[in-house]
Amino acid sequence: MKGRDIAADVLLGIAVVIVLASSIGILVMRGPYRKLHYVTPAALVAPLFVGLAILAQSGLTDNTAQMCLALIFLGIAGPFLSHATMRAIRIRETGDWRPWAGEKHARRRS
Amino acid sequence: MNSGFIIAAIAMLIGTIPCGIVVLRGQLMSAVVAYQAISSIVVMVLALLAEGFGRSSEFEFPVLLAVLLLGSGLVFVRFLERWL
Repeated sequence: MKGRDIAADVLLGIAVVIVLASSIGILVMRGPYRKLHYVTPAALVAPLFVGLAILAQSGLTDNTAQMCLALIFLGIAGPFLSHATMRAIRIRETGDWRPWAGEKHARRRS
Repeated sequence: MNSGFIIAAIAMLIGTIPCGIVVLRGQLMSAVVAYQAISSIVVMVLALLAEGFGRSSEFEFPVLLAVLLLGSGLVFVRFLERWL
């Protein structure tokens, strides 16, 4: 087994652990806001390790370039989708994304 | 064939099971969150399988899915926000 194989396997192992931990977090956490925090590691951090594993395995090839392209799109999509999802949850709960009058005050009291 | 990549792809597919439980049994917005996680995991699975089986032409699938993830996700969430 070459050094690059070992490096790729280690990086893949890290990515798998991140994905499994995120999935369990999504299952265990209560409420969509808390669950949403566990999407980011699976959507942004784990793909980065997968991309690094492919880079370690095959070097600078067209496979690596296409994975980098997918990573870029995932990196753009992740924050936008998280924001849009939070906004949708908020609008479904309260009817508007803006805080209603006295909301901060009410939350501080509770 | 590179077995490490294929094993990682299978392990990640196992990771979609908890998200699948949330999609099937959770509340609507929790299910949407789990669906987004599954979509991101599937992007990685497709890339891992393409690398594992040594088929560079199949690297187009994760790229396409990553592109469609943004558009479809935003449209889906926007509809859920107001009308569904």
